[in-house]
Amino acid sequence: MSKPWRSYRTGAFFDELMTDRGSPRVTPRRAINFFRGLSADELQARRSAAELAIKEMGISFTVHTEQDNIDRAWPYDMIPRIISAREWATLSRGLAQRTRALNCFIDDIYNQQRILIDDIVPADIVLESDNYKSQCEGFSPRFGAWAHICGSDLVRDHRGRFFVLEDNLRVPSGVSYMLENREISKRVVPELFRNYSILPVDDYPLKLYEMLAALSPRTAKRPNIVVLTPGIYNAAYFEHAFLAQGMGAELVEGTDLTVTDDDCVYMLTVDGSVRVDVIYRRIDEDFIDPEAFRADTVLGVPGLMRAWRSGKVAIANAPGAGVADDKVIYAFVPEMIRYYLKETPLLSNVPTYLCVREQDREYVLKNISKLVIKPANESGGYGIMVGPHSSPAQHRRYARLIESDPRNYIAQPTLCLSTGPTLIENTVQPRHLDLRPFILQSKDVWVTPGGLTRVALKKGSLVVNSSQGGGSKDTWVVEGKP
Amino acid sequence: MSMLSSVAERLYWMARYLERTEDTARLIKTYNHLIMDIPKGAEPPWDIMIDILDAQSMFRARFKVGSEQNVLKFLIADDKATCGIPFAARAMRENVRTTRDVLPEEAWELVNGLHLFVENEAARSSGRRHRHHFLSEVIGRCQMINGLIGASLPRDHAYGFIKLGRLIECTDMTTRVMDVAAGDIMNRAGRFGTIEPLLWGSLLQVLSAAGAYRREVGPIVEKAATLNFVLRSTEFPRSIKYCVRETRKELMRLKNHDFAIRATERLRRRLARLDVEQVTREELHYYVDNFQQQLNRLDAAIHATWFHGESA
Repeated sequence: MSKPWRSYRTGAFFDELMTDRGSPRVTPRRAINFFRGLSADELQARRSAAELAIKEMGISFTVHTEQDNIDRAWPYDMIPRIISAREWATLSRGLAQRTRALNCFIDDIYNQQRILIDDIVPADIVLESDNYKSQCEGFSPRFGAWAHICGSDLVRDHRGRFFVLEDNLRVPSGVSYMLENREISKRVVPELFRNYSILPVDDYPLKLYEMLAALSPRTAKRPNIVVLTPGIYNAAYFEHAFLAQGMGAELVEGTDLTVTDDDCVYMLTVDGSVRVDVIYRRIDEDFIDPEAFRADTVLGVPGLMRAWRSGKVAIANAPGAGVADDKVIYAFVPEMIRYYLKETPLLSNVPTYLCVREQDREYVLKNISKLVIKPANESGGYGIMVGPHSSPAQHRRYARLIESDPRNYIAQPTLCLSTGPTLIENTVQPRHLDLRPFILQSKDVWVTPGGLTRVALKKGSLVVNSSQGGGSKDTWVVEGKP
Repeated sequence: MSMLSSVAERLYWMARYLERTEDTARLIKTYNHLIMDIPKGAEPPWDIMIDILDAQSMFRARFKVGSEQNVLKFLIADDKATCGIPFAARAMRENVRTTRDVLPEEAWELVNGLHLFVENEAARSSGRRHRHHFLSEVIGRCQMINGLIGASLPRDHAYGFIKLGRLIECTDMTTRVMDVAAGDIMNRAGRFGTIEPLLWGSLLQVLSAAGAYRREVGPIVEKAATLNFVLRSTEFPRSIKYCVRETRKELMRLKNHDFAIRATERLRRRLARLDVEQVTREELHYYVDNFQQQLNRLDAAIHATWFHGESA
């Protein structure tokens, strides 16, 4: 064993690749042996190669600071996270099941509201939420699909059990980095690909195209699909361009589109106006149409909601889908699966205390130092307080926040997130990680093999978001005997 | 496949900046070679390059003296100088960043790579030691990008607007070189007569035309033949006649081209009107000035017809 691995200890956590006795797990054994055979210098050389590849490929994300927008190189760790295909099959079925139920829920909420009438989910929680959009009432998009692209975050606890941490149904991002991580791995550790049968991920843009094309209101052989981006200064612009290119679709901004009196959406081209069939929007719904939502938006297209409601254009994700992207609603997903699908949930939720419930709130306030407190409506890891890592003053501050606005807070036990070996300077050390697979749904449901693994680079940290110093790993779902 | 007006505009400018990067690098490189061959006292001033790029006022705001170091710093290492290499390379990259979905996959990597190379190397490359390598590398990378586009981009609108941008930038640069460099040589009027062929030869090199001239005209380089070649060669792709002809061809393939075609016809008519044997320094300058005005009108016609659309 080379020097960089000598101090590797998994501690109290479940490690993705190593057992607690310090030997490799069965599936990743050959990969671990390969990395253990590399000296510190060889690891460094490969890391430099990876950094160069990332720079050359121009893989970046934008970080907004008070002074400036910085284009940062994508952080990639060369030691992949490896999952066996057998284990993945269960997860994949569970994710598909979840997305189906979530779409049933959204469609129900904007139409019959059966689940509210039957009192499975409290009506006030749903209808008083900012995410409930009355502009969508009485409409049902094709296939009853609202959340066409869903990014669900999975974590593993200290016993290695998978849990769903949240479902991102608005404009989930990260899929391009999943694809690019694989490209970088092929350049940096090509030897490993000889020993494994790794499920490919690079057909994602094709699957995305097929999913979007199925939504087209016209029967043309090749519908006009556009990716609607807020523009170059958006943190995920790289991904918008990447996906448009991957699908052979147009990358448009709001100013490229117009809605005319016939309620159709047109894009302005050098040959004149061309009708658009499907819009993959990467703009938050509040900004897509100044006529229907925020009037001060300059990103959107006036009349877009009108066009959508009259069935002349499909929008993915559908406006209003965010109603299910709420950490309070999340707590009810297992119930939704039983209610709509009459199935047993295949994936577990993390136990969740809803501060809006009196009994839960009392428990949360009493145990605030042990719990993770999350605002119901933030993304990107903002506004979260990890009890055991916070000061008494912070505990008191969050207790006050909860008491003043209980609907907006949930609490979960602090999970001992699983770890994976990660190259930190000259040594390999365990770092906490999560996993974001992507689920597509229109006519059918499809789940990416694997997903984007995000890793907290700071020792002991649980924050994996790239905007807050997180890194990423290539994720392998491997077939066959180890 | 149709093309968004906004994308067409960015591609057009991407191509202009690509051409500008390469042309500027070649201008500096040629001048550097030339200067080493010329007897002391007979060489054209360094800031003749600033004249060619029409950037005297910007240059004078930064430097008092048009010395070698200052001119080279300005063109190679100053990322704010809009006529310099770093600015053009970055502007090209920004335009590709927003159009990479319509370009071949490798285009982004090549363009980004060129930008990174310039960003990393520019500061130490204005001195004589690294200058040559830097400029050759920039030119080579530009040619690689052009090669990629030529070999793998479908001949649709994307290609059309890239070609238009390149042709118009090339016409622009060729006329500037003709005006200033030819003017400088003609100003000498017999002084330093022995180096005149050398100067005309350099003018051809700036336009990457030396080899083509030798094959088409012969090894003797002199004023009338050089001007005639640069202006009216029917086969050389950087001659003005060639550029105008190809521009017209590209425009004919687009809808609503009447306005732009009329501007192109005016350019074409002007081409015939220069007597290269008799022309004086002043007449040449007046001729080029007028030609450039017509070229700007063509650029404006392209913008008005295809880039802004009705609603913008």
